[in-house]
Amino acid sequence: MDMNEIKEIFFQECEEQLAELESGLLKLNDGDRDPETVNAVFRAVHSIKGGAGAFGLDDLVSFAHVFETTLDCVRSNRLEPNQDVLKVMLKSADVLADLTNAARDGGSVDQARSRQLIKELEALANGELPQASAAEPAPKAAAPAPIAAPPVNEEGFQPVAFSFEDFEADEPALIEATCYEIVFRPKSELYAKGNDATLLLRDLSRLGEMSIHCDMDGMPPLDRMNPEAAYFSWKISLTTDKGEDAIRSVFEFAEWDCDLDIALAGGSAVDASEELPMQPVPFDLSLLDEAPAGSADEEEQIAIRDRDAAVSAAETASNVLQMAQSSARVPAEAQKNATAAASAAAQQAASAATPTIRVDLDRVDRLINLVGELVINQAMLSQSVIENDTNGTSSINMGLEELQQLTREIQDSVMAIRAQPVKPVFQRMSRIVREIADMTGKSVRLVTEGENTEVDKTVIDKLAEPLTHMIRNAVDHGLETPEKRLAAGKSAEGTVRLTAKHRSGRIVIELADDGAGINREKVRQKAIDNDLIAADANLSDEEIDNLIFHAGFSTADKISDISGRGVGMDVVKRSIQALGGRINISSKPGQGSVFTMSLPLTLAVLDGMVVTVANQTLVVPLTAIVETLQPEASAIHSFGATQRLISIRNSFCPLVDVGRILNFRATQANPVEGVALLVESEGGGQRALMVDAIQGQRQVVIKSLEANYTHVPGIAAATILGDGRVALILDVDAIVAASRGQSLKPEMSLAAAG
Amino acid sequence: MASKKTAQKMLRLAPVLDLNEATALHEKLLALKGSAVAIDASAVERIGALCVQVLIAGAKNWQEQQLSFTFAKVSDAFVKTTQLIGVDIDPLMAKEI
Repeated sequence: MDMNEIKEIFFQECEEQLAELESGLLKLNDGDRDPETVNAVFRAVHSIKGGAGAFGLDDLVSFAHVFETTLDCVRSNRLEPNQDVLKVMLKSADVLADLTNAARDGGSVDQARSRQLIKELEALANGELPQASAAEPAPKAAAPAPIAAPPVNEEGFQPVAFSFEDFEADEPALIEATCYEIVFRPKSELYAKGNDATLLLRDLSRLGEMSIHCDMDGMPPLDRMNPEAAYFSWKISLTTDKGEDAIRSVFEFAEWDCDLDIALAGGSAVDASEELPMQPVPFDLSLLDEAPAGSADEEEQIAIRDRDAAVSAAETASNVLQMAQSSARVPAEAQKNATAAASAAAQQAASAATPTIRVDLDRVDRLINLVGELVINQAMLSQSVIENDTNGTSSINMGLEELQQLTREIQDSVMAIRAQPVKPVFQRMSRIVREIADMTGKSVRLVTEGENTEVDKTVIDKLAEPLTHMIRNAVDHGLETPEKRLAAGKSAEGTVRLTAKHRSGRIVIELADDGAGINREKVRQKAIDNDLIAADANLSDEEIDNLIFHAGFSTADKISDISGRGVGMDVVKRSIQALGGRINISSKPGQGSVFTMSLPLTLAVLDGMVVTVANQTLVVPLTAIVETLQPEASAIHSFGATQRLISIRNSFCPLVDVGRILNFRATQANPVEGVALLVESEGGGQRALMVDAIQGQRQVVIKSLEANYTHVPGIAAATILGDGRVALILDVDAIVAASRGQSLKPEMSLAAAG
Repeated sequence: MASKKTAQKMLRLAPVLDLNEATALHEKLLALKGSAVAIDASAVERIGALCVQVLIAGAKNWQEQQLSFTFAKVSDAFVKTTQLIGVDIDPLMAKEI
């Protein structure tokens, strides 16, 4: 594992921490005052800082540090996390994310913005303190600390103003060191991750006076031992004035990989354990700190050492803060902290109970592809058995049925690997809402529901862009300004609601705002101005609403930075359709609009109806089909030269001859001999697609036609059927568009394949 | 003493004894089984708990076989680390005679 790989893991972890940070802050914003939430937020920033220090990402470290300091004020109840404070913090979380991205991908960040936020954060950290005396810098408080490691970054470690007046009186009592009994049992994983018990013990020894007993009882004989397993465990009695938090923070990066037990030893500073043959540890450990000159051969070790050094430096620095804090508390509170820490540890243990692994997406894709082949192969096998099965050997058939079930299950499980919760995308949206709300001067609240709804990763990746567009539109166009809202009798704060749920094998994402709704008069006028509709056209409300999906359409009077340049909703619609989904809008004047997107859960398989058209086998996506019917001669009406209509329950619907449009045959087929599939097309209107016969309904594995051949107009993708033949998957919307007189154009690519 | 008869073998430890080195050290020790061993730890700059485990297991093993297992030379870092983690190597130190 080289440095870059370690760094990559760090960035992956950063992403998780940032998500944690943001959701924690949002919880706080909603009034959650659970100390665990504050701790989770603090931990996230702290971990990012620690890791960043190891890789020398100075910008990240210094920003994270200031952020952490302010969060620490919240954690210690010196700063009330009200709306204003959280606004700054949420912005800081955004900047932290930017800095992380900049550190990973290069690029730069808005320096002015981060500097401004650093100032605001510092002001928060300082401002709320009573009698904040800037003249009394923290380093002075650090003086009693045995080793004050040099700060990782000078700029980052702003002195924290601190009032010593409150506790000066009881200082003598508090300085008194406490003796802790620590039982430390590392697990093998601790070593496997490149950590080492010696490093932890060294950090621990810095906290105070330590005596140690190494328990070697679990040691197997030499020839039966695993050299990479953990056998030693330690009983440590540590006399320190820094409190339990400092001890815990030594083990912070190892707490999942060891059993750790910290207890107060009799409450006195006297060494309580006489029976144990403890070895007092000499304090001069400076030699261990020196980097061995000749060990530059292995980068990894250096990295770990560097990381450790940086972390311990950061730790020591935060110890200064912690020490200062703990001295402000009464000792009884230490007990409370212990229980809190214990519950936190229990929670971590619970979350660690479901281990996960990171897998390259490529590998998963390869597996999915292979399983797809397996499904096809299994279908082929059963088909050939059925064809050759003249004497009814049912045992083979039964075996094949079981095989079919198994392959189906394998396919489902493999698909589940790719399934991911939509949470990360939703979280990104909250940031977009904040930024746009800031720019437009509106007050907006984003409510998300069903974040854990799972959907295929490709769908998630492609969802972010259309969602961003729509959120921008919702805030910029949908919601009114606070004044207008108040005038309309609504609360000044607008609400945008983002929901995800599963509905009959698809994922439905809803974006609702409580704004003014679509101004139909304006939309209609605009459409007439842009020659999209005739001036005297009679349109239903729904049709007017759908006009906003036309290219080059914007009702905003003034073009803003955010939206309103007319590229928007048509792009959204196209990307949703490219995902094999559809989008609907419903709007109530004065009450807001709801956009509903329905997307397939996966882009790898599709439920389709297998049909025959001019001796070709085609697959029509089941989601597009409303109903199937057998046309009667009396229901068919000619219309113009070539058009035909079919009357279905007293309404007329254009009849589309699929074989003619795809040029499978030169003349129009007789509708009475075929079957009509009533399909829903993109404009919301219905069309009857005419095919020769229906073969059946089955799940097909999508094979991209573009990747293997080239794009074919009117065809979305291909699949391989049980008999080994390739069947084309129909692109219903392209066919419908073609039936309107537009020819099948290559850019009408609405590929359903991923 | 039995140990006197077999020639004492010297095992020189690598400067960095970390996770990667633990298995190698284990194998080296196993290869030396049956003869008295003197460990030269003078070059050690860094030693992790895993390697200490291996050495201690080795010491026990040699003790059971009544062969001598000593640390002939030790570096400061080696001594300090073993002290730090509470492993007493004094009884195993080569006595100056």
